[in-house]
Amino acid sequence: MNIETTLQQAEGLLAPWNKEATHPESNRLDVVIASGSLRHAVTALHNAHWGYLSAITGLDLGADAGQMEALYHFCFGAALTTLRIRLPRTALALPTIEDIIPPATFFERELHEMLGFKIAGTKSNDRLFIPDDWPDEVFPLRADFSIEQAKPVEGRQTDEVLEAGVVGGNKFVVPIGPQHPALKEPGHFEFSVDGEIVTAARMRLGYAHRGIEKAAEGRNWIQNLYLFERICGICSHTHSLAYCLGVEKLAHVEVSTRAQAIRELVAGLERIHSHLLWLGVAAHEAGFDTLFMYSWRDRETVMNLLEQLTGNRVNYSANVLGGVKCDIGLEQATAIKEGLNFLETRIRHYLEVVTTDTMFLNRTRGIGTISYTEAEEFGLLGPTARASGLVRDVRVEAPYGAYKQFPISAVTETNGDLEARCAVRLNELLVSCFAIRAIIDNLPQGPLTVKMPRKIPAGETISRVEAPRGELFYYIKSNGTEHPARIHVRTPSLCNWVSVLEKAVGRQLADVPMLIAGMDPCFSCNDRMITTVDRSGSRQTLSWTQLRERGIEYYRK
Amino acid sequence: MSALTSLTSLLIFPAGLTLILFGMFYEWVDRKLVARFQNRVGPRWFQPFADIVKLLAKEQITPKVVNPFLFFGLPVIAVSGALTAALYVPLIGFAPVRSFTGDLIVTIYLLSLLTLCIGLAGWNTSSRFSLIGATRALTQLFAYEAPFLLALLGPALAAGTWQINLINDYARGHWMAISQPVGFVVALIGLMGKLELPPFDAPEAETEIVAGALTEYSGRGLALFKVGKSIELIVGITLVSAFYLGGLHGVLPFLAKTLGVLFLMAMLQSLLTRLRIDQTVGMWWRFGSILVLAQILLTIVLKGDLL
Repeated sequence: MNIETTLQQAEGLLAPWNKEATHPESNRLDVVIASGSLRHAVTALHNAHWGYLSAITGLDLGADAGQMEALYHFCFGAALTTLRIRLPRTALALPTIEDIIPPATFFERELHEMLGFKIAGTKSNDRLFIPDDWPDEVFPLRADFSIEQAKPVEGRQTDEVLEAGVVGGNKFVVPIGPQHPALKEPGHFEFSVDGEIVTAARMRLGYAHRGIEKAAEGRNWIQNLYLFERICGICSHTHSLAYCLGVEKLAHVEVSTRAQAIRELVAGLERIHSHLLWLGVAAHEAGFDTLFMYSWRDRETVMNLLEQLTGNRVNYSANVLGGVKCDIGLEQATAIKEGLNFLETRIRHYLEVVTTDTMFLNRTRGIGTISYTEAEEFGLLGPTARASGLVRDVRVEAPYGAYKQFPISAVTETNGDLEARCAVRLNELLVSCFAIRAIIDNLPQGPLTVKMPRKIPAGETISRVEAPRGELFYYIKSNGTEHPARIHVRTPSLCNWVSVLEKAVGRQLADVPMLIAGMDPCFSCNDRMITTVDRSGSRQTLSWTQLRERGIEYYRK
Repeated sequence: MSALTSLTSLLIFPAGLTLILFGMFYEWVDRKLVARFQNRVGPRWFQPFADIVKLLAKEQITPKVVNPFLFFGLPVIAVSGALTAALYVPLIGFAPVRSFTGDLIVTIYLLSLLTLCIGLAGWNTSSRFSLIGATRALTQLFAYEAPFLLALLGPALAAGTWQINLINDYARGHWMAISQPVGFVVALIGLMGKLELPPFDAPEAETEIVAGALTEYSGRGLALFKVGKSIELIVGITLVSAFYLGGLHGVLPFLAKTLGVLFLMAMLQSLLTRLRIDQTVGMWWRFGSILVLAQILLTIVLKGDLL
């Protein structure tokens, strides 16, 4: 099915509620509907298996316009359908769709907490992203938000729930996080356990919020490239790539094929580094430290390659608007090939380890199994979905940049357990190695960069790329100035959480860290959108000694 | 006079100070070996010692809810248990300080005292991680204790005595690792379970329950538990190598044999993935106990002195 027929099908499905339909881009359908018909429209798309809900973007059109918009983005291959709901700022009620599409609950809570949409009928009323002492009715992503509004409310603490766990009698809650050895980044989970068996799971995010989406609105297009690159230290290249592709699309700038190929090459190297890092973390969670040490040792090879290529080990800044910063000469090409030869043998070895080592398989085989239908229902993305046989790979479904010229084959497994997730990720690396070699051997000629305008023409676009963890979704809106009007980022980790929360229940506590690691969560990716508040102004400033005493005092209670 | 000798042997040589230093040395060897197997540099030779000094110098935080008597007493009991156990084993290749018929059983239970203390300590601090750690430590104790005891009874039956000293002498001419291989393997792995070394480190699996039963311990209490563990490491290794590796007579054979066992243990630690607690228990009762029972039956039958 090509894009046109797919979009026609969607238009047909949505016809009863369609108030106004446009085609902003060749692969996009934009349908304005009333909030009352949202549930019908979503059900129609869902029942027809028309793609999956990729993100919900909230837009504040400003106090003058007096309106706000909620955009429900559905993706089906390369085709995109957006359900657009316009609401007056005074009556921001939306019906929940979490009972139709479970992962929508995260998107809805984001809409509510960041922009103040009222989600009617939702079961999740506790806060997910913003702190518990954040004042009510203050929404950081609104256009008229000012930092003075964000005075912390005294006397509201996150710990209440935790303390209830011990005294609560029959309910015994094990907290994991925000600070916990299993987590490399801050997140908070509460697992109620009965003996060793988990009976309920709850999650809280937002500990690494830096307000990047809000910050982007005050910076120009070039500054934002570096800002978005810093959303994540592991997949920094894919973030800047998604941003660049989107902005270039808005500016109608065609990047040279050479630059596109180099972008894919860096993305491939980044995937190798990310998955090897993940392998180490997963091995450590399972208590197999030798594998952890070895995989991180070998990861140094790819880190060195990236450093040689771009000058940086973590935030490579390989992308610039209109092209790339670094070129690949003979020297780099040889180094990359040598590095790949080594890495490929190691990856094959690790693949053998994770699929044959009996003790490791004890901890991975048959654990956290997600079937194909469940994967579809949970809206899983990336390797987590592919391990269940569900092909969710933007590089294959909607090739962007150089992926048309140097295609990738999707790697899938069928078992959907932790072992399958290990195997998918490692096999994927072999595919990446193959693609990188092909790029080096057939690197197109051309300039590295083309000129970009400072002001980006007004318009909105959606840019999707495949990050190591799954589909990365960028919604970019320009109003024709040097600054973006709104950039919304939906990272793959956010969609994959359902897999942990649903699958932890009924399992052993010992499996939980593995389940969390199994989806390769990235907390800094999740926690990107809240505004940081300078707390020292509104709260008493504590010296180090005072802070320490306070900690000890608190602990003694 | 005899009280003075007893005190000296308990506090200075061979138990006490000497033993603690030896224990730290063995702990270092273990850490270094595992590090090298994992392609890391590993700690310097004085690291375990430095750890203890640092911990002793640190503030000990006592949680409000604990019973202070137990909180301070348990580490002391754990260490004294381990030190007392050391009196009955041929440390450094010398004959044990104390010896009587049936001291094997006493020693094994003195060694279990540490685990019991850790379990109680975890229960006493009533932190969630400690509670789960304590439950796991005690569950694991019930899993490996019987097979480990049976594995040590094999050589005792072969030697016809339950006195460690005499078994050690009997072992001089009998390498029981060869005649009772199953017993040797079970004893070795049981020892790793006793010491909560990987893959039996579920009671202190940091990715789930931070530091398990000892999560709330800091400063001196933690230092004492660590010392207790080092002592138990060396006493346990001594016991297993005395029984199965042709006895320990003299300093050089002692070093060679115990370090050999330690090498094996370090290798297993780096090769194996942590077992879940249910898998640990299942493994011991389904395979460990049954195999070692068969081994013991075989020993009895071959000895020919059944009834």
